[in-house]
Amino acid sequence: MAKAELKSDTKTEIEDSSSLKGTLVSVFFVGFFIVVLWVGVYFLYLDRF
Amino acid sequence: MLKSSLNIKVDRRDAKLVMAHFYVAFIALLVGGLAGLLQVLVRSGKFELPAGIGYYQILTVHGVVLGLVLTTFFIMGFQLAAVSKTAGTFTNKQRTIGWIGFWIMTIGTVAAAVMILLNEASVLYTFYAPLQAHFVFYLGLTLVVVGSWAVGTTIILKYAEWRRANPGQPSPLLTFMALVNTMMWTVATIGVAATVLIQLLPWSLGLVETVNVGVSRTLFWYFGHPLVYFWLLPAYMAWYVMIPKIIGGKIFSDSLARMSFILFLLFSIPVGFHHQLLEPGIDPAWKFLQVVLTFLVVIPSLMTAFSLFATFESYGRSQGATGLFGWLKKLPWKDARFTVPFIGMLAFIPAGAGGIVNASHQMNQVVHNTVWVTGHFHLTVATAVVLTFFGVSFWLVPHLTGRKLTKKMNKLALIQGYLWAIGMTFMSGAMHAAGLLGAPRRSSFSEYGGAAQAAEWIPYQIAQAVGGSILFIAIILMLYIFVNLAFFAPKGEEEFPVGEAANQTEKAPMVFENWKLWLGITVLLILFAYTIPFIDLIKNAPPGAQGYKLW
Repeated sequence: MAKAELKSDTKTEIEDSSSLKGTLVSVFFVGFFIVVLWVGVYFLYLDRF
Repeated sequence: MLKSSLNIKVDRRDAKLVMAHFYVAFIALLVGGLAGLLQVLVRSGKFELPAGIGYYQILTVHGVVLGLVLTTFFIMGFQLAAVSKTAGTFTNKQRTIGWIGFWIMTIGTVAAAVMILLNEASVLYTFYAPLQAHFVFYLGLTLVVVGSWAVGTTIILKYAEWRRANPGQPSPLLTFMALVNTMMWTVATIGVAATVLIQLLPWSLGLVETVNVGVSRTLFWYFGHPLVYFWLLPAYMAWYVMIPKIIGGKIFSDSLARMSFILFLLFSIPVGFHHQLLEPGIDPAWKFLQVVLTFLVVIPSLMTAFSLFATFESYGRSQGATGLFGWLKKLPWKDARFTVPFIGMLAFIPAGAGGIVNASHQMNQVVHNTVWVTGHFHLTVATAVVLTFFGVSFWLVPHLTGRKLTKKMNKLALIQGYLWAIGMTFMSGAMHAAGLLGAPRRSSFSEYGGAAQAAEWIPYQIAQAVGGSILFIAIILMLYIFVNLAFFAPKGEEEFPVGEAANQTEKAPMVFENWKLWLGITVLLILFAYTIPFIDLIKNAPPGAQGYKLW
């Protein structure tokens, strides 16, 4: 009985309010976009010149 | 002193000067927008201009009136407002210099515009020699530049006065940014002033027979690339300083913002050769050097992207957002002051990526002189920058005229932004695609004698006409909103949003205010990047070119 009382149902997930994980992923996305576009045009260049 | 100045309104006398600039800017939007609509219709192949009006004439109207007039007038007005708000009301002397500058710019604009409308100057907005315009056109452009120096003087004088009154203190961020942009503009416009005064004016007056085309194009692009940053930096001012306040957040870092502006001052000028990568007469080694410098100017833009994402995420999380992208949901999407510039920010991702392709030396051959380039700068200046300027107008115009942005106008403003996004996706997307298929820029409709390759471009030109028509509707909507905010909106107080840094204890390093250092490095970089190729262009010049009027 006493043991059961110690168990807590509420999961306390601590999310750091100063986290910038989303920013990290976003800037990676921007970088990825730049690289994909650049490589795409680069292959056009190789193909044509 | 700083705190109290943040809560006051822009002085009425300064507001009048700012609004004068905005009236010219928005008249330019109407005229230039109409010319743009006519262009996409002509290029669709379904429409011909009446009354002998030439395609290249309206193309010149569009480029000069939007690229040079709308931007310069809006930026000068916006920077005056930003400085008056954060460094204090202008003195009578400073304001008088501003008014003199405004009138010189306006007279110059009217002179150049009349020459274009009389079909005496259909030389496009880059006015490349040996295309030769009427001398009044060049004189008008000179006056626009000289006038802008006078308005810039107002900003420099106010900054100097603030520094004297606040020794040892970093200047207010917005004033600092406006000053950096003014200095960059002043250094850059020396190039265009030189080509116009030394080469083009005497040549168009018949005082000299011929012109050195290579030198004139080099001087133009010495000015032309910083010109695009002159457009962009005021948008960055709004993104760094005003948008955080509008969403209720903080500026990620005051020092980072200052650092990125200093980097723009250093690296946006000695890079003009990336517009001349396919031009003879310039050694490829010097082109390569300027390509490297161009890639350095990517850094402050990436810093800006990081800083903005961080501002948005920090705000969202402070409002209880969780997960990787939960913060996006917390942003005030129903507020046009935020959403319209945000669309501009999004557009800057493909715009910047395209710019990196353009500047990649030999790879420039894929896109050079194709309509891809037109698509590129319609994302940069005609979406990222212009939508930010519209977003600024939604609060700045009523702030200056003592009115309010009503809910109804806010809704219209949102629709305006969405329409712009849709129209530009069609138009710029089709331009990029057609450009990769080889469609030339700066050219009227042609089937090129029934060539199979040219036939591939036509569906994209129709898509451009659809997009351009949607954009024109958005322009009409914007003009309606502007007139409402300037003359008819209900009286009231509209906030001038000035953000505060997240870390108030962090004082910006004073080295950022050391103009001897930064201008010194700027000049050294310019001399390094340009001196030897410039001597080459003059010493080994081909015979000069006579003027041509091909319209």
